[in-house]
Amino acid sequence: MAVAVEEKVVSREFKEYIRDPNRDIGIDETIKRLTPEKIEKTINSVLNLRKNSGRFLAPLETCIHCGLCAPACQWYLSNDKDPTYAPVAKVRMTLWEMIKRNGKVDAEFIKQCARIVFTECNICHRCSMYCPYGLDLTYQIGMVRRICFLLGVVPQFQMDQDHSYAATLNQVWLSQNDWLDSVQWQEEEAGAELKNLRIPIDKEGAEVAWFPLGAEPKTGVYHIARIAKIMNVAGIDWTVPAADVWDSANMGMFIRDFVTMNRIVRGLFENAFRLRVKKMVLTE
Amino acid sequence: MEFLSSTALYNILRFYLIWVAFAVFIGGSAYKIRELIQLAKKEKVVFPYISLKDTFKSLLHWLVPFASRNWRLRPVITTVTFLFHICLVFTPIFLLSHNILWYESWGITWWTLSEGIADIMALIVIFACIFFLLRRIFAKEVRFVTFASDYILLAITFLPFFTGFLAYHQWLLPHKAMLNLHILFGETMLIAIPFTRLGHMFYFFLTRSFMGSQFAFWHSRDW
Repeated sequence: MAVAVEEKVVSREFKEYIRDPNRDIGIDETIKRLTPEKIEKTINSVLNLRKNSGRFLAPLETCIHCGLCAPACQWYLSNDKDPTYAPVAKVRMTLWEMIKRNGKVDAEFIKQCARIVFTECNICHRCSMYCPYGLDLTYQIGMVRRICFLLGVVPQFQMDQDHSYAATLNQVWLSQNDWLDSVQWQEEEAGAELKNLRIPIDKEGAEVAWFPLGAEPKTGVYHIARIAKIMNVAGIDWTVPAADVWDSANMGMFIRDFVTMNRIVRGLFENAFRLRVKKMVLTE
Repeated sequence: MEFLSSTALYNILRFYLIWVAFAVFIGGSAYKIRELIQLAKKEKVVFPYISLKDTFKSLLHWLVPFASRNWRLRPVITTVTFLFHICLVFTPIFLLSHNILWYESWGITWWTLSEGIADIMALIVIFACIFFLLRRIFAKEVRFVTFASDYILLAITFLPFFTGFLAYHQWLLPHKAMLNLHILFGETMLIAIPFTRLGHMFYFFLTRSFMGSQFAFWHSRDW
């Protein structure tokens, strides 16, 4: 049976950059709203930050383009050492090009940038461990993410989770009722297996507060029971917060939506202060 | 050619431009270092995390050959880059002819390399530059991020050593012409350091300090 092979996407600017098509409404549709003026204004508003930021400026003025960061990157290693996956190459294809062209780029270029920074870099910081100067390349990638986010060009799934955070302070559109319901349901489930098992909700002065990921009450509820078993058997004085913010994932940080990012981190710490716990335990 | 080998040009380079070169090099470098530190002070997450202990640990692991994982992964590059940088920095400082100039001008003296060793050290710099050039051309990951500026920076580094080597051996051009060229390129390099990416000479210590401290805060290592 013949299988239809889709044509590869070859970058206009960088002929070495060849990828399979990767359709995403969040990117393909949003770039239609962009105008050259809007792009230029947004890019320059972010790029101008470098005049006031050592973290932003230092790598730009220090990087000697040696390529020694390449073997640090799992994307580079798992793609047959394709040079376009090297950390410095990703910065070169996005940020350096924006600086070179003074922000005068088109929507197609922004689409390519969004693909590179959102789907081909995990901001894991391994490249900084391999860079002889210890340059913060991920900060540069993050700034490009910031530009894409401000332009609204973000993969749909990531933007949806960020919107969920903005509206509900968790990434899975869960109400407080649903959250508490899931916790109590899992207390019952785990309680059938372990004697005297409890999931203390909002216990002030406990030793440990546990903050799950949004996906746990939503799609992996049994995780809650497992954590409860571990905590009970280990004899830890623990609690789960009843009120927002309890979801410790942070899509706002991932796509550089600084307002939402700030709300989540602040909310987590405020919850911990409210419960007067000594430690915060987060799912990873 | 006549002008190139003229004493007039030599006098300009030796007695006037040298002052400009050193003033720009020292002043410019001080300005750039100060600028970066001032910028870093404005950031909330740089200075509160800087730790001297972790800075030195990080610097040590990257200034000692094969002390970091990336140095161990690439023995050839590590060997070449260390030899290159050591010779690049120390040959001009301890070269006999340079020391004589210091002595003639200000009557100060310090250690001097024997001429044979200095010759080898200059050759190391020259061949390392050729190695870096070939790497730029043939290593895919390097070629993809290579700009004209990278070749210019390489040339700025290469030419003072190349002309110096030729001047010492009195090859290719008349000695006076080559010497003038050597001084000119040397002064160009001094002027270029603060304002180009050759400034990594100083920024290296600052960026390492930040990243070393940052990784220590994450209970990790950056080497």
